[in-house]
This record gives sequence, structure tokens and C-alpha cells, in this order.
Amino acid sequence: MSKPEFIYVTYIETTPDKLWHALTDGDFTARYWFGARLRSDWKVGSAFEMVRSDGTVSDAGKVVECEPPRRLAYTFINLSDKYKNEYPALATFVLEPYGKLVKLTLTHEGFVEDGKFYAGISKGWPAILSSLKSLLETGEPLQIPFEALKMEG
Amino acid sequence: MSKPDYIYVVYIQAPCETVWDALIDPEMNKEYWGRQCNLSDWKVGSRWQHANYDDHSEVMVLGTVLESDRPHRLVLSWARPEHAGNPDKVSKVTFTVEDQFGASKLTIVHSELDDEMRNAISGGWPPILSSLKTLLETGEAMPMTRRNWKRNA
Repeated sequence: MSKPEFIYVTYIETTPDKLWHALTDGDFTARYWFGARLRSDWKVGSAFEMVRSDGTVSDAGKVVECEPPRRLAYTFINLSDKYKNEYPALATFVLEPYGKLVKLTLTHEGFVEDGKFYAGISKGWPAILSSLKSLLETGEPLQIPFEALKMEG
Repeated sequence: MSKPDYIYVVYIQAPCETVWDALIDPEMNKEYWGRQCNLSDWKVGSRWQHANYDDHSEVMVLGTVLESDRPHRLVLSWARPEHAGNPDKVSKVTFTVEDQFGASKLTIVHSELDDEMRNAISGGWPPILSSLKTLLETGEAMPMTRRNWKRNA
């Protein structure tokens, strides 16, 4: 049995530079990522954190690749006890110009088999990336609360 | 032999009825589906066809309406015309539309796929569904999906 891998492709009416900013600027991510502010200096090997609106860190990992505005990769794991037997998995974003659009491909891999973290991110990414696309194309993110995803814990 | 299903989830800032109708309305289909459209009376047991909007005799995909429950669930069998009589070459598409606080969660599960059809639809669903979201949220579909696509669905 192969290890689980999550792949999501979306096309967004924007430029690679704007999409890169949207993926790496904490003030911007807070608008579409269920309030999560990404925090890093985006140097390879540096710490990567997701910060909740109350200032606590929900997820942490490291920057693995950073080639603006084409390729960004980081590891992270949710810090709750629920995932204490799992380890950080690698999320890689590839941005490709496609006419007046950008094709964004996310590959998230390196999960333990039958892990809970994989199940969680599989619910989270479609909502986060749908909200990102709405925000870049219409100026407004989706109005869906985190609870709607029905993630446990 | 069971192969993994192809699954794509997208959240759209529109009511479920609007999303459902966009799946089966030829005038909307042609905007986000490469000037192709879906034709049927959408009753359970009826035939349906996916055809060139400008020449309905050019059929790319056909099948039977297996379930039709507006606005939440539509299940179709899916085959190329030349393979419609071969059960090994007939796949199944399930559209589920769920209300999410006024927005819609659209889930596409494409199952019972052979390798050739898997390759074709894996490249097809992301641009089609990205453009459907753009159409319903901005009023205009993405340019690349408004042009005629040669039979690659």
C-alpha cells in the first residue's frame, strides 16, 4: 500500500507575484486561512509557524524550499496531542503562469499511514485554497467558519 | 480490483441550487467547460450526453442518470461513446452539493476509472471546476474554458 499523498490543483485569475504574496504574507493569510497567520522569514531551514488570532502557535515546521514566485515548500505538523505520534509532512506549492491565470499545484506528502493528520489536512486544504481563490478574484474570502469543516479536535 | 477514486472538493460562494443548475445548464456549461455542454432531461434512468455546444452530434461522453436529487446529489455513468457497451470502460461521477453557511461545498467523486480515463479527467476537473467557481462568484468564466476544447474531456 502506498503512503497517502494529497494533491490539489486550482487555477486563479492573478499573477505569480500576487499569489506568492498571498501564500507568504501573514496579514494576508489571516484573511483566508481561518484566521491563521503564517510566520517565517522564508529562508531555507528557518522555522515556519501558523499563529492563531490569540497569538498561540497551532502548527510548526521548517522552510524547505523558497524560490519566489515559483516554488515554496515547508514541513509542518499540528501541535495538539492528537498528533503526538505523527511527524511533520511536506507541503510543496508550485506556481505556473497559465495565460492570464496561475496554475497552483499543492502536493502534501510524507504522512504516516492511516494517520489523523492526513485526514485533517485533506479537509482543510480545499476550503483554504477555495477561500484564497475567492479573495484574489473577488476581494472577499469565503465566509465559512472553521467549525464547518467538522475536523475533530 | 479496486483503484482509488478521483476526488475534488471546491467551495463556491453561491447557493446549492445555483451550483446544481450550473452543472446541467448548457448555457452555463459552455462558459466553464471548453464550449461543451451536458444534455439530458435529468430524470433517473434517462440518457445524458456531454457534447459540443455548437454541434450536439459531436458527443464526447455519454451515460445514464443514476441519481438526480436537486440540489444536493447527481450521479452519472460516464463513458466515451465507442466504449459505452464495455462495462470495464464505464466510470461513475457523483456530484454532491452541500450548504455551508450560505456557500456551497461541491464534491466530485469520479470512480471505477481505468488508467486512460483517469489521466484524462485528472487534467480536466481542476480547470473546469476552477472556472465554474470563477463564473458563479464573478459573473464571468475563465477565458481558457470559454474556448472550444478539442475532445479531451
